[in-house]
Amino acid sequence: MPEKKTYTEEELVYLLQNQDQSAFSYLYDNYAAALNGTIYRMVEDIQLSEDILQEAFIKIWNNFKLYDSSKGRLFTWMVNLTRNLTIDTLRSKGYKKQQKISQDENSVSTYQDRNFATDRFDSIGLRKQVSALKPDQKDIIDLAYFNGYTQEEISKHMGIPLGTVKTRMRTAIMELRKTMQ
Amino acid sequence: MEIKDIISSGLLELHVLGMTTPAEAAEVQGWAMKYPEVRAELEAIEVAMESYAMDHAVEPGTGLKQKILTNTTLKAIDTNAPSATVAKVIGISPTWKYVAAASVILLLGSALLNFIYYNRLEETDTVLAKTKQELIAANGKLDTMNADMSIVQNKYSQVVSLDGLPAAPDAAAKIFWIKNTGEVYIDPSNLPEAPAGMQYQFWGIVDGKPVDGGMIITSKNDRQYRIQKMKTFGKAEAFAVTLETEGGNPTPKGAMYVMGKM
Repeated sequence: MPEKKTYTEEELVYLLQNQDQSAFSYLYDNYAAALNGTIYRMVEDIQLSEDILQEAFIKIWNNFKLYDSSKGRLFTWMVNLTRNLTIDTLRSKGYKKQQKISQDENSVSTYQDRNFATDRFDSIGLRKQVSALKPDQKDIIDLAYFNGYTQEEISKHMGIPLGTVKTRMRTAIMELRKTMQ
Repeated sequence: MEIKDIISSGLLELHVLGMTTPAEAAEVQGWAMKYPEVRAELEAIEVAMESYAMDHAVEPGTGLKQKILTNTTLKAIDTNAPSATVAKVIGISPTWKYVAAASVILLLGSALLNFIYYNRLEETDTVLAKTKQELIAANGKLDTMNADMSIVQNKYSQVVSLDGLPAAPDAAAKIFWIKNTGEVYIDPSNLPEAPAGMQYQFWGIVDGKPVDGGMIITSKNDRQYRIQKMKTFGKAEAFAVTLETEGGNPTPKGAMYVMGKM
């Protein structure tokens, strides 16, 4: 991340609500890579990922008036918007369906493939703190955050009862918060 | 639900991850408004997830930023972008918005002008029709006058003035006798208008006796109240006009108004 932060979140939101181009440029510089990372983990295709990122930023720009700062941080809104857009794109392309079928057919191998992919990302620049998470903790976060899985899907995928998804998620994120301190 | 139970439920985490149902989301929003502790916890989770995303960042290609900035500035997506299968939000550039607005204004203006000019055209048509009628009437008069003039100007035309008699001292008439053909024309324009039921009758005096020369039309509404052709006389000593009952009489019975000798 380039460390040239010149706006507080409040300033940034105010400027973007007024369609300020330089604020938008700043927004891209600070968040494009993070949003692109979440998209890339879902689509695993660099070109498609950038196409969706472009769509996402245009949506953010055009729909900025829909952002309500009382309901959460700007990045949370942007990443949720981006995740939903990515899921919609994958569904429209039939990717998600294909992916699910292959996971249902052979969940063990795909689970390992996923870990392999995660390891690959780790090698290209994850902070040590994040790698300190237990694999299961990292996995439940990733399934929700990077794959947009529902509680039911996580329950099925990880082979844990539906009722424990919430508490497992809480534990994993608590651990994540600890590593950040 | 107590605050610590809310915080430990895991629902706040699911909410930040966008995994809550709309009802759950509304519940979480409500708690966040009500309890500063819940709001602070939500914020901490958001910051953690934001940091997590930052750690998984993948830098996009260098050209993408310019492309996005261009597209958002113009509010139009480059249709040549390779993401043809991705649903696009295609904006309209400000230029085209102005062009569209201008064309609507021009259309409305044009419609208004159409209306105005159509009304003017109708007015003009009415005026033109009236003018045509007047022209036809004028041409008719001109034709009559030309006919009159041709009689007056005829080189064989001999003019006989019929002067007023005691019954009508101010009356007068003119006879144009075309010598080579014997045709007789009368200009009755100086005869007083005939009373209702009466009509002027023209006479030629041949060998001392009046011979019927035809009825004279003196209605002012009629174009014939001008020079009109009477019966042909090969010879006559004098011409006279009497006022007779409508349709005329074989011999003069009414008062003689004018008379003139050859």
